Amino acid sequence: MPRILTKIPELSLLLLLTIIAYAYVEYAAVVGNTPIGSSLSSVDMIVLSFVISMAIAIIAVIAGVGGGVIFTPIMLAFTSIDTLVIRSTGLVVAMFSGLVSTGPFMRKGLADVKIVFFGALPIIIGGLGGAFAAIILARYLGETGDAIVRLLLGVTLVMIALLFIFSGSNNEYPQTDKFDTFGNDLKLRNTYWEESLNTYVRYRAVNVKLGGVLFFVVGFTGGFFGLGGGWAVVPVLNLVMAVPLKVSAASSGVLLAMGNAAAIWPYINAGALIGLVAAPWMLGQVIGGIIGAHILVSIKAGFVRNLLIILLLLTSVKLMVRGLETLLSIDIPIF
Amino acid sequence: MAKFKRTLIPLSGIVYGEIIYWTTISSAIVVLFGTIKTFIEPHSALPPAYMLNAVLSGESVTNIWMNSPMGAVPNGHWYLSILSSGEGMTTAGLALGVFSIIPGTFISSFFLWRSNNRFFARLALAAAFITITSMVGVIPLPIG
Repeated sequence: MPRILTKIPELSLLLLLTIIAYAYVEYAAVVGNTPIGSSLSSVDMIVLSFVISMAIAIIAVIAGVGGGVIFTPIMLAFTSIDTLVIRSTGLVVAMFSGLVSTGPFMRKGLADVKIVFFGALPIIIGGLGGAFAAIILARYLGETGDAIVRLLLGVTLVMIALLFIFSGSNNEYPQTDKFDTFGNDLKLRNTYWEESLNTYVRYRAVNVKLGGVLFFVVGFTGGFFGLGGGWAVVPVLNLVMAVPLKVSAASSGVLLAMGNAAAIWPYINAGALIGLVAAPWMLGQVIGGIIGAHILVSIKAGFVRNLLIILLLLTSVKLMVRGLETLLSIDIPIF
Repeated sequence: MAKFKRTLIPLSGIVYGEIIYWTTISSAIVVLFGTIKTFIEPHSALPPAYMLNAVLSGESVTNIWMNSPMGAVPNGHWYLSILSSGEGMTTAGLALGVFSIIPGTFISSFFLWRSNNRFFARLALAAAFITITSMVGVIPLPIG
């Protein structure tokens, strides 16, 4: 950690400014120290949100999933905060670690700009379609339809996680003999420096058309559930398009930031993004995002894979529990 | 070796990354000052204790704004009209970070075009235009 701070002066500056600012606010707040809940003041709430957000960002960037996958289910499960506020703040959590990690990832050649722009359009269009579909489905099938889709999505995630588990380490640097004409025409191939192996890794994307369709599906489900698509972009890139796991994780974060940028503006314009609530989450994502991006460059790809499996399984359990709770009208007391 | 490493990385990606990275860091600093201002201004337009209590007690977005000193649900780029207040500055900082995607994508598409990656340049432009339409409110998402 101290090495990262000396290597990245802007991170040190931002962290120092944040600590000074929160310490000053805690000390000098005129109106902020009204108690919230049992014992926490409003300033304490802000500081606590910042610390949790920073931890989420580090994990999310390393695994290539948006932080929204962690934040949104937890907030929906454990707080009574209005869903609109949760979804808008969830988008902030989902996108800002991706935004700030864009710089280090592009600089190191770990994120592939062509893959990012190739996936961005279907994810944005799918996301918009998913948001509209959620409203239409709610009108015709109500909560039952939502629960069925949630359950199916949970099962799908378990299957993806199992695929990662049983494919072993083959997916860290996938090798394929398949020739993809479309991918070849688009020159979707690259080489990056793998610090953990101290060598170059070459890759070329295959199943590019299928990947495009799946990006649309990912965007659609992300928009439909308000979860973001972080849980599925890495599997699509790595398992379907044969992109190395670390490039998949890095490109996924960058791609999600771009996709969420289109989705968040309506929330801002409608006043659903409460600045005071979102601010510490955003700051935590920015600082945690820079730290996570620099950790990802040097860690082994296997660690990324294991972290992704855990996140996929946790998210799937949450989705299935919520689906079953609605369908069977029962309360399952699992996180 | 270092020179070789650098030649593998496309300029369009580096430009995209740098624009977004530095704009996001700038936006974080604006958000930080906005937060300080929110807590220390004595007669805040949106008192932090009220806002946090209302949010945590599960009030709807409409109720949060209607019962605040503002007395109305904001619309459009409302934060620009109260930019001198803490909440206005904080939300403007968040919006600046989100906005960084647009110039980043446009400038990156220029470099993609110049390097004969015209298909990707077109994709980038299309993504940027959709984001702009969302920003200006042309696509009103059913967020309720």
